Amino acid sequence: MDTSFIERFLIVLTLYNLLVTTSISLYGIVARPSITKKIISLTIFGDSLNVLAIFIGFRVFSVPPVLLRTDNLDELLKLAYSAVDPLPQALVLTAIVIGLAVNLFIIFLALQVYRLYGTLDSRKIKELRG
Amino acid sequence: MRKYVVLFSIVIATSVLAYLTTYLEAIGLIGLDTRYLAKLFLTFAYNPLARELTAISPEAVTSIVWDFRGIDTFYETAVFYMAIIAALAIYRGIGYPSIQSEKGLSIIVRVVTKLLIPINIAIAVSIAAHGHLTPGGGFQAGAALAVISVLLAVVFSASSFTKVGISLSKAIALRTAGLLAIAAVVFIPVVFSAFTGVQAYLMQNQVKVDSAFAFPAYIQDQLISGTLIWFNLAEFLAVSFGFFVIFMLLSLREDVVKEQLGEDHGH
Repeated sequence: MDTSFIERFLIVLTLYNLLVTTSISLYGIVARPSITKKIISLTIFGDSLNVLAIFIGFRVFSVPPVLLRTDNLDELLKLAYSAVDPLPQALVLTAIVIGLAVNLFIIFLALQVYRLYGTLDSRKIKELRG
Repeated sequence: MRKYVVLFSIVIATSVLAYLTTYLEAIGLIGLDTRYLAKLFLTFAYNPLARELTAISPEAVTSIVWDFRGIDTFYETAVFYMAIIAALAIYRGIGYPSIQSEKGLSIIVRVVTKLLIPINIAIAVSIAAHGHLTPGGGFQAGAALAVISVLLAVVFSASSFTKVGISLSKAIALRTAGLLAIAAVVFIPVVFSAFTGVQAYLMQNQVKVDSAFAFPAYIQDQLISGTLIWFNLAEFLAVSFGFFVIFMLLSLREDVVKEQLGEDHGH
């Protein structure tokens, strides 16, 4: 199926948007001193990479990877040649859960750091003993 | 100065990535066609003509998550389980007080929330039970049910957990039951093989080329896709109560925690 100029433009625009979001979040992780902001940047970083993974499996004029009729097997071939790639979706589902688990752990650690040191500024925490 | 170096290097990295992905097509021609592997998964997700290869589920994503790449998801659930253990370890020695503040939000919000909670439970169970037929599954259903724990903590205050009969240990027990149920479904083929001598594999769903073992794909003409519905329901239990544990811990009042941690934990 041929894609028009506007479709190609939108695809490239989405891709660049994702890359820019990833870069901004990477900047947040590296350069912001506040641990809260680092965590927020980390979640944005993870989410933009997940969207990028889904985006790789995208195709124009597509349907979701769900078979709607199981009585007619012609539908099966139609689905195979018109649905989006289900593999990135499955992998991203796994990545979301693992990302969530890691984020939860980091949030609990940050909470404990705040209780012990009274600050979430990484410059001040570095100077403290312990 | 250091900040500008970081900013500059990130801009350079983005430009290189943008060049690679669009002009050099490093990740393929996006939007035009899917890969051969995708077509393979879509063809064999539900295919009664190829019983040795299919997961007998019309939902391709659930087929991949719990059948084609099932072990992957099993370990993912284990990671989630470990993260909650880590959270519990950080909160060790802190008991959940039976009565905290009784304050909540206004009567209007409380009544609306009371009306919404049964609907929320129904939707969550529906997402889990139809995970092998429609988009959704155990994890999504668990996340939908976990909304209730946040609503309870915010709208009715954290003491409402005790009122509705959910304690921290009960939530941990239910979450462990979910994980044990997943493990049970994983090991049933192996146990079956040990008793009958029929060849069967770990986490097997439908018949394979050299194994006649299969979970029932239909119950009274209703498609249940073998193991997939059981995995989804067990994951639903594990994830929803895992989230309950997390939100119960996070809704503890800071002064209650500080009091139990003792004086020497202050800064």
